[in-house]
Amino acid sequence: MKQKIKAALLASSLLLMPVAGLADTADGDALNSMTWDEVVELAKGGEVNWFLWGGSDNINQYVSEYIGGRLKDEYGITLNRVGLSDTVEAVNIVLGEKESGVMDAGSVDMIWINGENFRTMKQGGLAYCGYTDILPNNAFVDWTNPAIANDFGVPVEGCEVPWSKAQFAFAYDTARLDNPPRSIGELIDWVQENPGRFTYPAPPDFNGSVFVRHVFYHAAGGVDSLLGDFDQARFDEVAAKTWGILNDMEPYLWREGRTYPASISAMEQLYANSEVDLTFNYEPSGVGLNIENGVFPPTTQGYGLTDGTIGNTNYTIIPFNSPNKAAALVLQNLLLSGEAQYQKARPDVWGAAPAIEVSRTSDAVQADFGTIVAHPNVVPADELAKAALPELQASWISAIEKGWLENVGQ
Amino acid sequence: MSNAESIPMRSFRVLTGVVLITWLVLPLIPLAIWSFARGWFYPDLLPKTWTLRAWEYAMSDTAGVLDSLWLTIGISLAATVLSILVGVPAGRALGMYKFRGKEIVELMILAPTIVPGIAVVLGIHSVFISMGLNNTVWGVILVHLIPTLPYMVLVMSGIFANYDPAFEAQARSLGASPLKTFWYVTLPAIRPGIIVGGLFAFLVSWSQYILTLLIGGGRVETLPLLLFNFATAGRNDITGAIGMIYILPGIIILLLTAKHLSGRSGAVGGFGQI
Repeated sequence: MKQKIKAALLASSLLLMPVAGLADTADGDALNSMTWDEVVELAKGGEVNWFLWGGSDNINQYVSEYIGGRLKDEYGITLNRVGLSDTVEAVNIVLGEKESGVMDAGSVDMIWINGENFRTMKQGGLAYCGYTDILPNNAFVDWTNPAIANDFGVPVEGCEVPWSKAQFAFAYDTARLDNPPRSIGELIDWVQENPGRFTYPAPPDFNGSVFVRHVFYHAAGGVDSLLGDFDQARFDEVAAKTWGILNDMEPYLWREGRTYPASISAMEQLYANSEVDLTFNYEPSGVGLNIENGVFPPTTQGYGLTDGTIGNTNYTIIPFNSPNKAAALVLQNLLLSGEAQYQKARPDVWGAAPAIEVSRTSDAVQADFGTIVAHPNVVPADELAKAALPELQASWISAIEKGWLENVGQ
Repeated sequence: MSNAESIPMRSFRVLTGVVLITWLVLPLIPLAIWSFARGWFYPDLLPKTWTLRAWEYAMSDTAGVLDSLWLTIGISLAATVLSILVGVPAGRALGMYKFRGKEIVELMILAPTIVPGIAVVLGIHSVFISMGLNNTVWGVILVHLIPTLPYMVLVMSGIFANYDPAFEAQARSLGASPLKTFWYVTLPAIRPGIIVGGLFAFLVSWSQYILTLLIGGGRVETLPLLLFNFATAGRNDITGAIGMIYILPGIIILLLTAKHLSGRSGAVGGFGQI
């Protein structure tokens, strides 16, 4: 009986196993030594499973309709967009597959990623690396820019390809406020003068965490002394000041700081319902989309800080065990093209800032970029970029998040 | 029953009905309104701008809601049928017989309702990978049995605890085959339990998120997965539209089985065994 069950299980598992005939599109080393034409030839007619945050219809439409349409028409590749609520879900799938010994038949071909999740993928040996030079459109990427070559302080080293740039920005409702606080120093005073009208999502929420880092930079008197490897003595000194500021602020927060919103969308709802007067986001173009989608009042206006805001780059990564690496490379190359980056930058499509150097693209694409009129309520990327702050290394970030939970969030 | 008793009894039942409907239906009204709203801000009682955009998106190919609806119905129906096939014999054994280690078997069957799914799902995932069941619809159906079976077995063991096997013996002595006995004697007696247990199983399978996500590898995209994308992103309009579609099958099945859910049904009493 036991034997029978075993045989039945084996038979059913054989039936359900993915077709193994496409093994060569899973072999990253072989792909890395091919020419681009060979890669495209191999990718034709295949499929690619792209896992990315799925909470915006605009982004979903851009990916499924524009990118998926071009992939189908030009290469015969089927794009299967898999929506996620949190990117870590896709990382966990790859991690589970590696632990179970799935080395070339994984279910994830590409992930939209950065920061902590990239660090997990890279350190865990979960990423396919060393392919960036074969992508023709890699020429548009400025790898000498440290903000591109490092993902939250972790060197990219050919393990992912940039997709968009983002920079933290605040937003306020012009119908409610005349003069919002325009620096972290002003904000600290403003919160005390306007009790209950401000809050921030509890770290390790992505956006709550970056807000706390702005306060951390303020407490350090600037970011310069925090760059580089983690320094325990320096951290202890700045952290003590930061927790002091945030704990002093706490009784003046929404609900006297007894609780913090768990996510940025929870805070955006508080803002939309006039419970708090300020909101912020790492993706500044979100203000425009939120107004168009009825999430924010149309009188919302985005703005930067005079002492600067933190910027980051987000990327696409191919897991080590993707069975469709050739198709994923074609997809990455398409995403980096001037036309796709222009489409993504249009405020009516998404409004995400390009991660490529527009000056390196064709004249036609440059002319297209020239026609973009930013959403009037979104603070323009070049204006934000005038006061841009770098991200810290991931070791600093996790120490700050942990410290916040122990000293402020408790 | 005399009239003097039945009038307060009736008004009590009407009152409970009203309270239940208020609790169950009122929260759905804002969801329905949101699905037609473009922005709805405090202190407005109703949205200022109405639109069909959320519904247009929900019905589009990009959203994949309709494909996902059929897939979710298929998965939940299959999980329900399998739960019945396993749950009826299991419920009979637990409800009618005393045997050594019965308490342990009962505890094991109940365990999935006590242990949170998130605690065991990573282990299940690696087992399913080694069996080649991950990323498949069949794998998802199979893993849904873990949370659905306790309900099925519980209901069926309650039914069988009040079931008299002498009827079966009688039918057999009158010459009925085992199959005929089951069809004409056993099945009619346990049918209310199968309907109620099946309803539980369907609804529990219908609402699975984390098991589907991990075992399906994101490739088996059921409605809760789509719904979560927008709910966590704060898109009340699209969440409302998908949510309306999401609750529809549950309501239809509830209406179809409503008469078996009343207090007079045998399926609702007799949990005493466990």
